[in-house]
Amino acid sequence: MRIFQSWRYPANWTIFRLDDRLLLILVAIIVGSCSGLASVVLNRLLMVMFNWFHDLRHYWWIFVLPAIGAALSSLFLEKVVKEGAGHGVPEVIYSVSRYGGLLRFRSSFSRLISSALTIGSGGSAGPEAPVVISGAAIGSNIAKYFSLNDRQRITLVGCGAAGAISSIFNAPIAGMVFAIEVIIGEWKSVNIVPIAIASVAGTEISRILQGNQIPFSHRLFNISHMDILACVGLAVLTAAASILLTRLLRFMDKISKKLPAPLWIRAAIGGCAVGLIGLFLPEVLGKGYHEVQTMIEGAFSQGLAIVGLVTIAKIVATALTLGWGGSGGIFAPCLVIGCLAGLTYHHCLALLWPSVSWVNEGCFALLGMAGLISGMLQAPLTGIFLIVEITGGYEVILPLIIVSAISTTLCHYIEPAAYYMKELVEYGHLLRPGTDARVLSDLNVSELIEKDCIAVTQNMLLRDFISIVKKSHRNYFPVEDEETGHFMGIIHLDDIRQYLFNPVMYDTVFLGQIMNTRVEVVDPDDDLADVIRKMDANRLFSMPVVINNRFIGLISKGNLLDQYRRELMVQTSQSV
Amino acid sequence: MNHQLLHIFRNSPLGRETLLQSIYFSKQVKVTPVVYIPKFTKFLMYFENDVVQIDLDDSYLMSQDTALEHATELLEQAGVEPRFFDPKHYTASTLPDIHTNFDYMSCPRSISDLSSKIGLGYIGPRVRRIVKSAQFPVLITSPVYKKWESIAVFFGGSVNAFNALKLGFRICRISGMLLDVFTLVENKSQESYEKLITDEDLEKEMSRYVNKWHFLKNRTLGENLYDVPHNALVVLGAYGHHLLKTFVFGSKMEKIQSTISNNLLIVGPNYTAVI
Repeated sequence: MRIFQSWRYPANWTIFRLDDRLLLILVAIIVGSCSGLASVVLNRLLMVMFNWFHDLRHYWWIFVLPAIGAALSSLFLEKVVKEGAGHGVPEVIYSVSRYGGLLRFRSSFSRLISSALTIGSGGSAGPEAPVVISGAAIGSNIAKYFSLNDRQRITLVGCGAAGAISSIFNAPIAGMVFAIEVIIGEWKSVNIVPIAIASVAGTEISRILQGNQIPFSHRLFNISHMDILACVGLAVLTAAASILLTRLLRFMDKISKKLPAPLWIRAAIGGCAVGLIGLFLPEVLGKGYHEVQTMIEGAFSQGLAIVGLVTIAKIVATALTLGWGGSGGIFAPCLVIGCLAGLTYHHCLALLWPSVSWVNEGCFALLGMAGLISGMLQAPLTGIFLIVEITGGYEVILPLIIVSAISTTLCHYIEPAAYYMKELVEYGHLLRPGTDARVLSDLNVSELIEKDCIAVTQNMLLRDFISIVKKSHRNYFPVEDEETGHFMGIIHLDDIRQYLFNPVMYDTVFLGQIMNTRVEVVDPDDDLADVIRKMDANRLFSMPVVINNRFIGLISKGNLLDQYRRELMVQTSQSV
Repeated sequence: MNHQLLHIFRNSPLGRETLLQSIYFSKQVKVTPVVYIPKFTKFLMYFENDVVQIDLDDSYLMSQDTALEHATELLEQAGVEPRFFDPKHYTASTLPDIHTNFDYMSCPRSISDLSSKIGLGYIGPRVRRIVKSAQFPVLITSPVYKKWESIAVFFGGSVNAFNALKLGFRICRISGMLLDVFTLVENKSQESYEKLITDEDLEKEMSRYVNKWHFLKNRTLGENLYDVPHNALVVLGAYGHHLLKTFVFGSKMEKIQSTISNNLLIVGPNYTAVI
């Protein structure tokens, strides 16, 4: 009986009384392994589906396959697991920002199945974002099972994301950097250590089950100074491609929402359009890793016009797949588009300056991937480490840094928020730890209400009021209706000072005559950021909190500052 | 009246019964009903250590154009100022977040399945998750509007039972209604239950608020429950025991809710009562 009891309440296990950091590392191993396993499962599912449908590719009617996949994927998300469509990374960041990383259990498997249907049938999307949300949800639910606190849960969400990315790309550093740079947004040792461990666990699981292979191996590149100089132009091109892709994705999302049809029909329309493009340009279908490998090897034999056309087609296909309701991520399409952009750029260089001995086109393809990833995610470190790890090409590190840095900067200049964060920023949901918005979001009006105010009535004489003032240590006095108890206005001592020092007024002035009735009031459900905005705009130091015409208490800037400091210290402390 | 009760409005005859019940409860307990009229069939509730997705059945979205009007009418008829909840945050565009800083929440026995399952003996899985995670008690309404005129607290000695008892005291104090305590005597003696009260230092409250303490000694729970007044608000704790005991012997809460048709106010493990 005792054994079962202790199993039911893991928070009571002896191990939980050990060091918190050690505990987090132990749980990170579990999370990293589970999310690594989820990545392997999705990879295998995609391989199986690719083999099933490969023999059908030569039939004319095959263009409906992505439509069927996208529709099934959408139906699965909407009707079976009842989750919203999309790739899910913004949902993870939102949950980390606002709800301490709480994620639904169903998210740990739903996107794996839906994205397998979308990508496996030929949709232009990647498996990375779905595994990120799966890994993150696994981390969140393991944290819930062990009754861990918010900060520990957020770290485990990061561990899940890191384990998933590490596993799917066999790239532990990229997984770790992605989790910290994109998901958590906080570089602290308390996060870094467990996330690093989870990355290792995820990578190991992948290596055990799928072998230790570099996804896109290539021969050695001999990079000259001219090539490094030329990288500036490539960075501009990849930034342009990133912005085009970001805007097209949002445009497709907007026009698809205007269509009065269920989501699964919209997804099918998008899928069908992708299928049609795929009939003529099959390179746009699926995750496209085979094409990436070909391009990096320098074996992609098409000319400039075709490469340019495929680049545009892949951007459009990705926007159609994801913008119209398909399920998947943008990592893989970014890699393909980046490669194509790099290749296009190389062909242009070769055309314009045929006498210059440029490095092999595969190098530009590789650099293009970094440019696209950095531009779309506005996460240069993720771009750099990912490309170095998945290509094993450390010799390209210098141009890689240049392309990533310039692409990120240009994209940030034109589109201030990264693709994953665009909606979150628009709705004020991106709350990084230690920022003003995050501190305020963790406080609410109800916990700041000061209730030690003495209420007075409008028919009270000034003389009676003065005797109340003597007892009170506050400057504000709410005025209530004698019969109904409704809030009528407020008296601020500064406003009535002239009456207080004039004894003639004591028996002739009623409070109803001198109270301020044009008072800005606060509802306990109001956002604290809005309350502060009101205070600043009206130069107020206190505001009354009123519900249903009844005065509840005061909210003051002094108390707010106290709580703000406390919350800031909690959020920025190094403890777990 | 700054305490709030969350009510998810269903614009149907059944939803009307539930809202009437919530309004009656709010007036007795002096809380403000806050009505949420869903625009989507799902929403999320983020609790301290859990996130619960509520998947409403389609009847919640029935005749959306009249929902606000119907809810306002019912509230105004009862002399309650209409107060509606408008979600500020969305996890996804069709997935609003409902905050959990309420003092009570009203649910039918099931809020995510077909209305045919609202009968006795069935509490939907979402309602269970809410009860388990919430820091507020959950009012599970009777299938039809039924005024309750007394309070019946089930007290078995667990931590949650103490919370239920304290909540009973609180409602008794606010509403001025009679409070009866019911204890299903199992293996323990009557004195041992009285000792539990003494140990918790609740003797004074017991003598102040409790009309009668019933010790039910019949063989079956059904027979015992006949003594509970049909027009009483039944307050009881849930999920106070560990999994194995619940698995083998069943949960008292489940047995009680499947036997009586009263309004139930269920106190979960995360609720802390203040008298």
